[in-house]
Amino acid sequence: MTVTKKKNSIKLLCGNSHPDLGEQIARRLGIEVSNVKAYQYSNMETAVSIGESLRDEDVYILQSGCGETAINDFLMELLIMIHACKSASARRITAVIPSFPYARQDRKDKSRAPITAKLIANLLTTAGCNHVITMDLHASQIQGFFNIPVDNLYAEPSVLRYIRERIIDWKEAIIVSPDAGGAKRAAALADELDLNFALIHKERARANEVSRMVLVGDVTDKVCILVDDIADTCSTLVKAADTLLNSGARRVVSIVTHGILSDSAIERINSGISLDSLACTNSMPQVSNRRQSSKIDVIDISGTLAEAIRRLHNGESVSYLFKNAPL
Amino acid sequence: MRDLIVLSGSSNPQLTARICKQLGVPKGEVISTKFANGETSVTVVDSVREKDVYIVQSGCGHTNDNFFELLIMISACKTASAKRVTAVLPLFPYSRQPDLPYNKNGYSVNGKREFDSSPGTPIPNSTASESTDYLTSSVVKDTSNDMRKSTLINQPVPTPTASSSSSLLNNNNTDDSPTYKEWIAQSGTLVANLLTTAGADHIITMDLHDPQFQGFFDIPVDNLYSKPLLQHYIANNIPDFQNAVVVSPDSGGAKRAIAVADQLGMSFALIHKERRYRKLINPTTLDQSLLISSTITPSNSNKVIATTMLVGDVAGKVCVLIDDLVDTSYTITRAASLLKDQGATYVYALVTHGVFSGDAINRINDSAIDKIITTTSTPQDGHAKQLGTKLEVLDVSRILAEAIRRINNGESVSMLFEHGW
Repeated sequence: MTVTKKKNSIKLLCGNSHPDLGEQIARRLGIEVSNVKAYQYSNMETAVSIGESLRDEDVYILQSGCGETAINDFLMELLIMIHACKSASARRITAVIPSFPYARQDRKDKSRAPITAKLIANLLTTAGCNHVITMDLHASQIQGFFNIPVDNLYAEPSVLRYIRERIIDWKEAIIVSPDAGGAKRAAALADELDLNFALIHKERARANEVSRMVLVGDVTDKVCILVDDIADTCSTLVKAADTLLNSGARRVVSIVTHGILSDSAIERINSGISLDSLACTNSMPQVSNRRQSSKIDVIDISGTLAEAIRRLHNGESVSYLFKNAPL
Repeated sequence: MRDLIVLSGSSNPQLTARICKQLGVPKGEVISTKFANGETSVTVVDSVREKDVYIVQSGCGHTNDNFFELLIMISACKTASAKRVTAVLPLFPYSRQPDLPYNKNGYSVNGKREFDSSPGTPIPNSTASESTDYLTSSVVKDTSNDMRKSTLINQPVPTPTASSSSSLLNNNNTDDSPTYKEWIAQSGTLVANLLTTAGADHIITMDLHDPQFQGFFDIPVDNLYSKPLLQHYIANNIPDFQNAVVVSPDSGGAKRAIAVADQLGMSFALIHKERRYRKLINPTTLDQSLLISSTITPSNSNKVIATTMLVGDVAGKVCVLIDDLVDTSYTITRAASLLKDQGATYVYALVTHGVFSGDAINRINDSAIDKIITTTSTPQDGHAKQLGTKLEVLDVSRILAEAIRRINNGESVSMLFEHGW
């Protein structure tokens, strides 16, 4: 029964936020998800049980920032898991956070507003995290909030493949950014596909509320591909789609990295006639969203995450993944 | 008072209001909401620049939400140039983390145990099969287990076996296969470090489950005691209290209970619970006077005997159970029925923190406890409605307010420990 144990192998731990993605990554890496589980006691405190040795292992903890009622629970799970691995003498602990929580609270936009993204960065470091893998950070400057290495992966290669393979008339398309902040991301995509680029400028009254939209660029008789990093309540997306259709677009599809789809986003997508489809990556669980709306499509990014983990473990460069998406 | 501002988290606003009233200061305005995606959003409305800020947040309700709200508030005050930020945590979150129940040989005995109250696991849009898998796999919520052991992480010795991971996943541990000893992460140090990282300069708390917890912090921690309050209640509300018996419902709380008994010159009894292998203990050889009840708990293939023993005499006496925390209420209700079995005439239960999670309230209503006394360290309005006259609530706002006043003034806090307020 004695089997010599391979030391310092990849251990993939999975929080409760996105077990499906954990399974997919584990399958791609040819390993099993480790026996570390998070629970909640009846007093709502989180407990983590460690069921196998992590001594001297290279530990990766997958936890996405999602869950409308449980986002703080998942965050606490992640912190406790990191801390548990540290006290279990893991060699290196990497937090794999496909969708970084609190990423939009990244600046002091009014008096005494907290910079929560910075706080989360500090908390992760304090818990004992040695490395962070994330994807399409809302602002890449968040990397600077950390004193540990952060690998900010891009969904762009996967998105490019999706456009080429799934949007039949993509050559007649135009890439549209629904706000000024996403212009850079959309322009990069347009360059890569050798397509034109348009921009919608919006004037915000309050957060999550859009007042007026102005289109910059010509979309007449074009297939519009709306590109953004986060789709939360989707009111921006739906309004942008309306604006595009009113400006003579043939049809409008949208692609986002993180489909939070909170509030009544699904309803909004289903009832809106202007938006043909919404493709988002599986950085967050999309199974039930897809069940509720036939317009939602999923781009698999588990390959990118798995390959990043493999490369990080072997000490290879990760930058290959910035331009290429593993199958 | 100069430069003093008291802010309230959403866990216990009534307590904060009372503290502010005691201090004679208006409550600082904070807007705490949630974004559509569930993220906590905090805006501190009043200026805190160069102020001495106190943030009151108890570790109850939706614990993690409240804890993150506190962290974000601390961080917001720090970035808004507060002079000093003190976190006031009447009930400290994660102060008590139970270990998994192990039997003598270190095997997990949790496999087939029933849940005392099923721990809910937050599962997002995933399938039901996954969630049941999480629920059935391991942890047992059971306050009757020994939870006193939560100093530092209990580091197990890994025993490499071929099937260690798979056998643990299925919880099919047999007697003979040595395997990795499953353990529960202890979050004490982590919670302490998180508070410090967020920017807390000082902590005020009350009746910490483990006094050692103070050592997890690199910042000052003032651990206040509700003992004077409890003593005051006993002396003034229990008739003929000198002849009553103070009882600790488990061995871990013995010290706390003895302190009260000594102070009031009362006698003391202890309830002790042990779990042993059947082969290690033979009930017939035990002194029958000590053995009160023994139940055989089937767990995996091992027979574990949980023996509850009462040390001391309570026949014909009024009993005062003293504990720091009542969560699922298993320990305290079992203790009460044991006392009644032993001839106790009336059972009071005095607990500092009344969390009453799960179906604790119903259990207490049906139990042998005649009167339960707790404090306002956690909100009790809802509990009071359900428990009626069985519940009595003592107000801790004066102790906390006086501590805040003294810390703000740079006076000693230690007189509060013995004399209360």
